[in-house]
Amino acid sequence: MLDIGGISKRFGTLQALDGVSFSVQPGEVFGFVGSNGAGKTTTMRIVLGVLSADAGEVRWRAEPVDAEVRRRIGYMPEERGLYPKMKVGDQLRYLARLHGLGEAEAAASVTRWTGRLGIENRIGDEVQKLSLGNQQRVQLCAALVHDPEVLVLDEPFSGLDPTAVEVMSGVLREKAAEGVPVIFSSHQLELVERLCDRIGIIAAGRMVAVGTVEELRTRDSAGHDRGVVLDVDGPPAGWADGVPGVEVVSVDGARTRLRLTDGVDDQDVLRAAVAAGPVHEFRRFRPPLTELYRDVVRDMAKEEKAA
Amino acid sequence: MSAPLTSRQAVLLVARREFTAQVRSRSFVIGLVITIVLIAGVALLGGFVASQSSNKTLGLTTRTASLQPALAQAATTQDVELRISTVDEGTGRAQVANDDLDALLTGVPGDYQLLGRDTVDSTVQSIVSTAVQQQQLRAALAGAGVDPVALSRQSQVATTTLEPADPDRGQQLALALVGSFLLFFSFSAHGQLVATGVVEEKQSRVVELLLATMKPWQLLAGKILGLGTVGLLQLVILGVIGVVGAGVTGLLTVPGAAVSMFVMVIVWYLLGFFLFASLYAGIGSTVSRQEELGPVIAPMIFLLIIPFVLTVNLLPNDPRNELAAVLSFVPFFAQTVMPARYALGVAPLWEVGVSALITLVAIAVVVRLAGRVYRNSILRTGSRVSLREALRG
Repeated sequence: MLDIGGISKRFGTLQALDGVSFSVQPGEVFGFVGSNGAGKTTTMRIVLGVLSADAGEVRWRAEPVDAEVRRRIGYMPEERGLYPKMKVGDQLRYLARLHGLGEAEAAASVTRWTGRLGIENRIGDEVQKLSLGNQQRVQLCAALVHDPEVLVLDEPFSGLDPTAVEVMSGVLREKAAEGVPVIFSSHQLELVERLCDRIGIIAAGRMVAVGTVEELRTRDSAGHDRGVVLDVDGPPAGWADGVPGVEVVSVDGARTRLRLTDGVDDQDVLRAAVAAGPVHEFRRFRPPLTELYRDVVRDMAKEEKAA
Repeated sequence: MSAPLTSRQAVLLVARREFTAQVRSRSFVIGLVITIVLIAGVALLGGFVASQSSNKTLGLTTRTASLQPALAQAATTQDVELRISTVDEGTGRAQVANDDLDALLTGVPGDYQLLGRDTVDSTVQSIVSTAVQQQQLRAALAGAGVDPVALSRQSQVATTTLEPADPDRGQQLALALVGSFLLFFSFSAHGQLVATGVVEEKQSRVVELLLATMKPWQLLAGKILGLGTVGLLQLVILGVIGVVGAGVTGLLTVPGAAVSMFVMVIVWYLLGFFLFASLYAGIGSTVSRQEELGPVIAPMIFLLIIPFVLTVNLLPNDPRNELAAVLSFVPFFAQTVMPARYALGVAPLWEVGVSALITLVAIAVVVRLAGRVYRNSILRTGSRVSLREALRG
């Protein structure tokens, strides 16, 4: 298990991270979301030891992460890091060697991963001559070429075309299936929701929510139950106004969204709806991650104001 | 399976990448060729200019022909090859207009006229003035009853030196100047490469990937070692071409001195390179983009050029210059001044050794400080990191 335990980091007057804690299980894909400047990149750099934390500790398999462990992490920095004038193959072999692979192993690994990511025919080209999407594939190769035990990827999907997104997602799931914990950050929340086993939301240097999407749906950032929200399509607008234990969230034509107070039986609500008119659809509303994220960030802002 | 890298392996891997990236690049070969062409060109041009300036033609009219012996003597004294022909004035004027003659001397004693095309050649002018003066002086002396030959014999000063004059001084001087120039060139070119390389890694963020596998000092050491080797290779190529070329063409008749100067240049290249390269790296690491690099490393050029200018100006006329002697022990000056003094034969080997030791101490201090600046700045992108901030950490 990769354990990020209470790391803090201050840059001058800016408290970039404030006691950030979460853990990622082997075989788990962990999505790291938050607005720009919230602390995602700083956290990842600390995991990689590129930055040192002021407080807190990163542990892998219950041991503090030291230089020896870092060597076995695959890392993709946010702003891409490759020598623009070096050939793709030379570059990947060099990075593999720096991670401790022998000459032959490095060559074999480069062949395997460039093939897997579909850039095997660009091995002899300088990186700067590749399209941005292909440069990104090279960058992913760089993170994978030493067969890492942990993957840490900062915005791996930004700027990729849909095909490349599919390839990248496939590789991440595949590595997770091999038992590698995978952390990646992204602003593409639909993608995060689809791909990740668990999600962490960071705002202003603090982890405000961690859990599976399902867990985030049931509890808000303060740990309160979000309650049951229902979408009912059919009965005329205003039908639910008199129903006890029901709060109308929104009305859109014949579609009404309701929040139930604790302990109210949804079957009673269904009966009230059927009584008011024909019901075409009656289902639990499952807010997408986009909405959960918006709520969490809004709650945060409110707290900040109150504090 | 992969094994952890030792420091040595990490440094060597980095150094090898830097070396091959440079040597394989077209700019390395082109740079080398341009340098060789430039040096050969300067040598040829120098020879051409020298051969031009000593070959003059002067026309005399029948009335000025009596000056011929005095003119020939003055030309010999001034080490100028002067061809004198006697023509009538009209032909002479035409020849000056056609550039067949550099100048034409007309007129009568007391009222000589020297005629040039659009300008009168200064060398010819000086020879003619001397000759005319001599002639007047002789006439005056003869009028006063003094024998000019006796006077001239009595007014001579003989020169002698305590130590036998070194017959090879000219070649030593040439070696000293060429050595200083090669060192200056190597320091600035390869120091600049180090700074550019540091910024390239920072700008492209490769450094984040690299530092996840090694410590900053290992990366810095590998880079300096790799680029230093490139500079060394270039220096050896230029040096061998220079020594062999000068030997074959007969310019150089002291191969022993040339070879020991060559060794001296290599030694001081290594000492100076570590000193300057670590400074270049430290300073380079404080900026985030190549465009910002120019202003911050501009002062470095002064640090390199001042010792070079001092060497070229102080030592040729006065190899034992005291300022130069002192500076040849001061780090940041020693790498240029000391080898030049050695080439001129005024610095014994023990002085070179002492100076090298002092420079080694300076390297230890500078590398430490530059390494600290590098470590504290290399991951900080955005605005320029101030040196004070980088040193404090």
